[in-house]
Amino acid sequence: MGKLTFIFLIAFIPAAFAGGWEGTAAMALAISGGFLGITYAVGMGLGINELQIMSKEELYQLIATGLLVALLVGGNNVIDGLSGGMGSGGQNLQDTAISVIDDTLTNPTSGMLGIYNSVTTIDNKVAKESSKTMSCSIVSIGYTVSACGGYSMLSTPLSMSGSIVGFAIGELYSMKRLINISKNYAMSLLLPIGIVLRTFKFTRGAGGFLIAVAISMHILIPAGILFNQMLVDTFIAEAGSGYSGGLSTTVEDCDPSSGIGVYGGDQGAQDTLALFRTDLQQVVFSVLVRGTLGPVLALLIMTAGIRALTSLGGAEVDVSALGRFV
Amino acid sequence: MVDTCAISGFDGIMENTIMPLSAMATIASALICGFTYMISQVITNPKLSLWAKTEAVQLIFSAGSVFLLIMLMNTFCTMKVSEVASLFGKSSDSISVYDAAAKYLADAGYYSIRALTVVRFHLEAYSVLGALSVFECEFAGGIGCLFGYSGTNIQALGGYGAHQAALGIFFNSTIMSVISALNFLFILQYVYRGFVVMFLPLGIFMRSMPYMRTFGALLISVSISFLTVYPFLLSVFYIMEDAILDKPAYEPGSFGDYYDETIYSEGGAGESLEAAVAGTDAVYENYFPNGDNAAGAMMFAVYAFIAAVFLPTAALLGTIGTIAYLTRMYGEEIDLSRILQMV
Repeated sequence: MGKLTFIFLIAFIPAAFAGGWEGTAAMALAISGGFLGITYAVGMGLGINELQIMSKEELYQLIATGLLVALLVGGNNVIDGLSGGMGSGGQNLQDTAISVIDDTLTNPTSGMLGIYNSVTTIDNKVAKESSKTMSCSIVSIGYTVSACGGYSMLSTPLSMSGSIVGFAIGELYSMKRLINISKNYAMSLLLPIGIVLRTFKFTRGAGGFLIAVAISMHILIPAGILFNQMLVDTFIAEAGSGYSGGLSTTVEDCDPSSGIGVYGGDQGAQDTLALFRTDLQQVVFSVLVRGTLGPVLALLIMTAGIRALTSLGGAEVDVSALGRFV
Repeated sequence: MVDTCAISGFDGIMENTIMPLSAMATIASALICGFTYMISQVITNPKLSLWAKTEAVQLIFSAGSVFLLIMLMNTFCTMKVSEVASLFGKSSDSISVYDAAAKYLADAGYYSIRALTVVRFHLEAYSVLGALSVFECEFAGGIGCLFGYSGTNIQALGGYGAHQAALGIFFNSTIMSVISALNFLFILQYVYRGFVVMFLPLGIFMRSMPYMRTFGALLISVSISFLTVYPFLLSVFYIMEDAILDKPAYEPGSFGDYYDETIYSEGGAGESLEAAVAGTDAVYENYFPNGDNAAGAMMFAVYAFIAAVFLPTAALLGTIGTIAYLTRMYGEEIDLSRILQMV
């Protein structure tokens, strides 16, 4: 009777929550509790002990899930409070992480999109200058000089820079996408479906997996982004602003006819290279640490979280395959 | 005749192949158990007798799996994803779980193809624009070039190596997204139409054979998981299509300028003529009337990757996790780490 009362109480869990994803999760717990209650009642009515024992066993699993959700509600509120105070404009963990990603992408001085634009503009100009060749021919006698050919040495590093910055942009957009998906669905759909699936023995693995994915996407990805941002802020505060900025490299025009005989185009290429090398220090930190390491860290934390949580949920899923996408 | 869940040929496979094969496997296993029991009685061997009884119980458990599977499948066929979504305050189309799973993968493939088109469009444009060269005659105000030539040869619109290097990565990843979506779709179709034909009856038979219980349990678990959990997880993603695939536009923003793949489809003559008559900038504007959007193309590509590679792989991993759990439920522990590495 005591356990039946407990099941009955579970059905009223929604009243304990204000709304939002917490209400949906509570509803899922109530649905699961209802299923178990019916199973227990059928077992009791027909005198099938095994059914009653199974219901009791499953009830313990449901209580464990309920505790996990309660822990999540409390933990999420604490994390939201902490992340909201980071001053990035977000009201909760997810919004704060999105603000950080947006800033990393579009910051006027050190944003990835600005750096990518600078790299491609420099690359475009360098290619134009390096392509200039001077030709002179009369009655099939003449010459062709590639006096600006010195610029072509810059094309390879600029292409490589473009691919590295492009990769960072892609990673940042992918993290933003995962956070946006989790904002809309992780806690309001994946978590409750996971709770319901976890109630049934044969779908416990899938249920545990969905719960783990929901929690990891909702909390661990944004937490990873913010964790990296905190490290970046600490480093910038210690090392100074020399590690945060954009590209100011300019490319001089090259006249292929003026330098014939003295290789006049070389000086402009050397000046461009010198400027580019000076800019690299502040750009490399932005691109590799803020733009690349942050998302990689967040994804690794998420996959590690899924593995740990599925193990906690009763069905260990090896998600190393997801980690390989990094 | 409309088949179960409107999957063409499904009822035929179930009624004409799976059920008879499962029945035959059950009868064959029961005969072996019965024969072994008789032998044990003849030679008065209690160990053999116990084995036969144990296997008979396990056989009932295995045969019960077929009914469990059919019951679950019928539930999934009648249950609409709109009903599942409405349980949690969401909305979706009124289609079965199996249809929703297939539709999600088809939509993910469509989304990936659109992303691929946008990335390819940019790559083509950058290749064409980068290759455009102009000869500027400086010989007697240009008239001198009628007799000879003197001037500068120049790559008029500059180079796009950095763009091409960056987009090349995303072009590869988007091709992988398309292939992955199709691959997962074919796996699903194979699961619907042929998977259980072999695995379920074989699993029932193997589970009653000495030393083969682990293998049999694995086969039964694979059948149940792939026919229930895998489509269900994909159908959950179908409910989330507005966030994952930007439904109903199926593009993250405005990419209408970048789907036209007919520019200069006849070769470079049009491009050369246009550059000579209207200037090199006209060639650029032909490709990008409102400017290029390489960063947007990259964004589209990574979204396609998440939709067509990351999430279906996660569904597959969840399914494999369920297989491990189910085999444990059937009384055997198996190590699936090698299979996971293949994923």
